[in-house]
Amino acid sequence: MKLEQARVVVVGGGPAGLSAALNAALSGASVLLIDSSSRLGGQYWRHLPETWRDQSELHLDLDTGLLLISAVTNHPKIEIWSGAEIWSATHEDGATTLRLITAGVEKIITTKVLILATGAYDRTLPFPGWDIPGVMTPGGAQSLIKGNGIAVGKRVIVAGSGPFLLPVAAGLAQVGCEVIELLEANSPLRWLKSFPTLIQNLSKIGEVTHYIAIFNKFGVRPKFNRAVVAAHANQDGELESVSIAKIDSNFKIKRIKRVKCDVAAIGWGFTADTSLAGALSLKQLVTKDEGVAVLVDENQQSSIPGIFAAGEITGIGGSELSIAEGVIAGIAAAKYIGYKVEISNYHHKTKAKKQKFAKALISSYPVKSGWQSWLTDETIICRCEEVKYSKLKFAVTELGATDSRTAKLLSRCGMGMCQGRICGRFVVDLVANESGISPSDISEKERISVGNRPIITPISIELLANGE
Amino acid sequence: MNSPDVIVIGAGVVGASCALALTNAGLRVLIIDRGPVASGTSGAGEGNILVSDKEPSPELTLALRSRNAWFEVNEDIGGGFELDGKGGVVISRTESGIAGLKKLAKAQRENGIDAREVSAAELRKLEPHISPTIEYGVYYPQDAQCQPMLAAAQMIRAVKKRGGKFIQGENVIAINSKNGQVTGLTTKKNTYISPIVLNATGTWAGDIAKLAGSYLPIAPRRGFILVTVPAPELIFHKVYDADYVANIASGEADLQSSAVVEGTASGTILIGASRERVGFKSEFEIPILRQLARQAISVFPILKELQLLRAYRGFRPYAPDHLPVIGEDGNISGLWHAAGHEGAGIVLAPATAELITAEILGKTPFMDPTPFSPKRFMNRNPNAGIHVAS
Repeated sequence: MKLEQARVVVVGGGPAGLSAALNAALSGASVLLIDSSSRLGGQYWRHLPETWRDQSELHLDLDTGLLLISAVTNHPKIEIWSGAEIWSATHEDGATTLRLITAGVEKIITTKVLILATGAYDRTLPFPGWDIPGVMTPGGAQSLIKGNGIAVGKRVIVAGSGPFLLPVAAGLAQVGCEVIELLEANSPLRWLKSFPTLIQNLSKIGEVTHYIAIFNKFGVRPKFNRAVVAAHANQDGELESVSIAKIDSNFKIKRIKRVKCDVAAIGWGFTADTSLAGALSLKQLVTKDEGVAVLVDENQQSSIPGIFAAGEITGIGGSELSIAEGVIAGIAAAKYIGYKVEISNYHHKTKAKKQKFAKALISSYPVKSGWQSWLTDETIICRCEEVKYSKLKFAVTELGATDSRTAKLLSRCGMGMCQGRICGRFVVDLVANESGISPSDISEKERISVGNRPIITPISIELLANGE
Repeated sequence: MNSPDVIVIGAGVVGASCALALTNAGLRVLIIDRGPVASGTSGAGEGNILVSDKEPSPELTLALRSRNAWFEVNEDIGGGFELDGKGGVVISRTESGIAGLKKLAKAQRENGIDAREVSAAELRKLEPHISPTIEYGVYYPQDAQCQPMLAAAQMIRAVKKRGGKFIQGENVIAINSKNGQVTGLTTKKNTYISPIVLNATGTWAGDIAKLAGSYLPIAPRRGFILVTVPAPELIFHKVYDADYVANIASGEADLQSSAVVEGTASGTILIGASRERVGFKSEFEIPILRQLARQAISVFPILKELQLLRAYRGFRPYAPDHLPVIGEDGNISGLWHAAGHEGAGIVLAPATAELITAEILGKTPFMDPTPFSPKRFMNRNPNAGIHVAS
């Protein structure tokens, strides 16, 4: 075990982690940046292979990302461990110990100052057929495009809710997929309510214009108040068509039509990856979109002194907010270990502006409880353990579960490989609904505890046994 | 239900078993728990139904009856809790360990346990992946396993169908009594009236006894369990090192651990078992997890190739003499206890329920319950001014 004397340890190589690492280094501190991916950039700047001819067409602010990655990579005070999976984290006597696996070897580091920037992943909702190959998340589709520059299918449907559907649909069109439907579940009227805030972020309006130009070029016509409510497989078990429903403002189905397609990319915003924060028992809160975020002060410090958090894990808000938070966290972390630096008011102002925008955006894309009416008894709820909706309901109605932990242990929902990363969040809503608890009465503890995993990611029994 | 015959506090496996037996005996039962079903120790164990780890004692008599009672409960309520009479294999690698195991098996056979010494070759037929360094074992066909949370939930489901009631999320704050006789209890929300209150709160049973003005010396004994990713069937029995039996009997507060390995219906493999008395300390101690992994690999080297998916910990209800507490309280009439089963709460639950039911109804139980009586702690009641060793 090695005590990282006066070194800032940053976890996560996306927008928040990169800017945190760079700003801690620019403040004078030595930095260790730990990233689970083999290349820096995170989900957001998962950039294209070198051979791809025009990356910027697929990614608006790729230049920012490439600059940041290059600055971090070339900074003499920053050491980078890529492809490193943290499986355990504990905090004792003012220091955090991280145990991680990299290249098949376990490394253990202990640090007095830590910045968590572990990001977020696609928020999913179950529906009949969502486990059919060909149904994927927008993030999954995008990583296929950006990672490989290949078309993921011939006839593609992009659906769900939120602004992230736009770049995904545009990217799919540009690599040669026919985007036959782009469906937003919410009404365009919701945008108007938050329009005054949105207009203050002119760069974002510019982005929308950019995507609309692409959609016009490829003949993609976005539709509102519509959702994919079922997927259907062909004889080979692959996606053959989906049922598209016109839905009301609560997401209840009004009427259905069937459309042939071979890929459906469906997402409902994002879920913060709070596993590491949970393992360290950082205080968390429930956000407006019923997600969970790490509680931080104005300088991004968490409930434990010396542990900072930035980016999507402190509340979903997009890359620009993540960068603003990363900057503050990086400087604050350097300051925490004695470097004489101050966080300028400019950074706080930038962050506040981006935060306001993020809040307005989240209220424009709510996920309404009517989605639960799309399920049938046969719908798979937990894909890892293949638990059907009827079994989850049985755990509540017959076996007496009223909370998601008990329902999990009685039905095996969330007990498989992903440890509830996919189903945990919506199982909370399903269990509450089945128990007659209204969504607004679901306790914070109930939503937060879903992300608690003492073993953050699986580790081989052999490595566990051999460690000190 | 306005006036239940019995209120059972605790919706773990012991409380659920007692509620089922009392209901089947014709009593109206109300179960109350501060949390949901099996949210204490029952939800943090392996579901052991073992006779193999019992030395000849009243506890062995209780375990033998209880093991069979589990299969009767399974019949009675229609299953649904993964009861599996898979059998157990106890191994030892040291000369003294083997000698001790032989002696234990002989004594167990004399007391009605099917304990078969197996050769190295037979051992490999039972467990093909066992380490080549292991050449001696005892096979216990009577050992079994269940999923304890499902067991508690299914028993409570049966109780409800048979007219009983389960109230969850109510914390008991007072045991009410008049002239030394229980009259009911009060939770943060309600007061319930009943002439009999059964304390089945496991590790927390001492708190309930204290509320009633009585005393039970039950303390937590922490244990960790590792769970692997689901794997094809590799391990067919409950397999453990004979050191485990010695660890259970130990009164030491320090960490003891020995290899306990078994598969489950869902394909995961469970790896235990550690024991230590550190209060309700909840932190995950990585060195203990590592030790459990090392010990498991030494019995099944193939486990090296699997991944650890999760780990959990629980607190066994530990009584200083390692015997469960079953019977009526010595100070308060109408207050009954069924608690303190340490790591054997699952196996002992149905027979505990039979003892409690027989005694409450004034019938002759299947064995002499005196060794388990709470009255054995009477003269150590600190409320009576007598010093108690911690």
